[in-house]
Order: sequence, then structure tokens, then C-alpha cells
Amino acid sequence: MSTTTGGRGDLMHSKWTIPVGSLLIGLVLLGANIVGHQTVLGLWSLGIMVAFGAAVLLGGRSETVRGLRGDGRDERFAMLDLQATALAGLALIIAVIVAFIVEVARGHSGEPYDWLGAIAGLAYIAAVIVLRVRG
Amino acid sequence: MRNDVRGLRSARGLSQGDLGDALGVSRQTINAIETERYTPSLPLAIELARFFGISVEDLFHVDDNGRKG
Repeated sequence: MSTTTGGRGDLMHSKWTIPVGSLLIGLVLLGANIVGHQTVLGLWSLGIMVAFGAAVLLGGRSETVRGLRGDGRDERFAMLDLQATALAGLALIIAVIVAFIVEVARGHSGEPYDWLGAIAGLAYIAAVIVLRVRG
Repeated sequence: MRNDVRGLRSARGLSQGDLGDALGVSRQTINAIETERYTPSLPLAIELARFFGISVEDLFHVDDNGRKG
């Protein structure tokens, strides 16, 4: 019986997860921008991601930062994380639906918002089915 | 959910941080339980009750008229 989440061997909740993830995303963005001949924009993207990762890593003792970093996670923060993720997902889905409607009203096909909305809907249905089967 | 965590903790001279450390949760989580802003999971409720040496029913109170105390 455990009331905590995360630990030394829990990669998802290591304090390095977000900083390293941010660095990797920044490098991918840099690479994509170099391929697209926008090196300066890529460097800005990398800088922003590195700054965010560093802020989380060195962000002090605040519960929010420790929870994001992983060293202050417990069951309550896991619940907050889940609710925040659901809220962020809802905001994204609403934005996609609004953008799709605006594009259609402008006489366009609605791409790429049509398939983005479809992915969200199918992912939700799949998650409900899997979670229901798992109990 | 209404509970006696604050009273029992204070009677033992423990801070919220002390109790949180003993149970592996944050000080803020203990505070949220005491102020009824967070209902703990069943495992944490059992650990809290064991810590104070009483039953879960004696620590947390559910109104007969509703689901929440």
C-alpha cells in the first residue's frame, strides 16, 4: 500500500524528466527549423525550452515546482496533475473545434483541424474502452 | 470530508510537515485534508488511521444523510 507516487526508479517522475524532455524537444525543434532554413527561430525555440527546463529544475521548494519536477509528488498532486491534464485537453479540443468552424465558414476544408479533432475524439473513446476493461 | 486529523496531530505535538513526512505525503496535502479540501485515498486514510491508532471510521466522518461529512 503506497500513498506516494514516484521514486528513485520511476522515470516518469524523476526530477530530470521535464528538464531533459524540454532539452530534447528544443533540439528537435532546432533540427526541424534548420531543415526548414529557419535556424534563428530554431535557436529561439531551443532557448525557450532550455529556460523552461532550467526553471523547473532549479525552481526552489514551491509545491507546484516540486510537483512538476517530481520530487514533491504524492497522491493529491497526482490528482491535481490528472485534472490539470484533462482541463488542458478540454481547452485544446475546444480550440480545435472553434478553429475548424472558422475555417469551414471561410470556405476552406477545415484542415488540419478536422483530423486533429478526429484524433482527440478517437483517443477519448479508446481511452474510455481501455480504462473500462481494466476496471 | 470532516475528520479529526488536526486535533489528533496537535495532541501529539506534530506539525503538518512531520505528519506528512511520516506518511510520505506533502505538508500541503495534510493541510488540505485537515481543511476538508481534499478527501484522501483509501490507502492514505487507512495509513492515517493506523498512525493515530484508531479506525478509519473514527477518524473520518460521513454524514448519514449524504455521502460527504
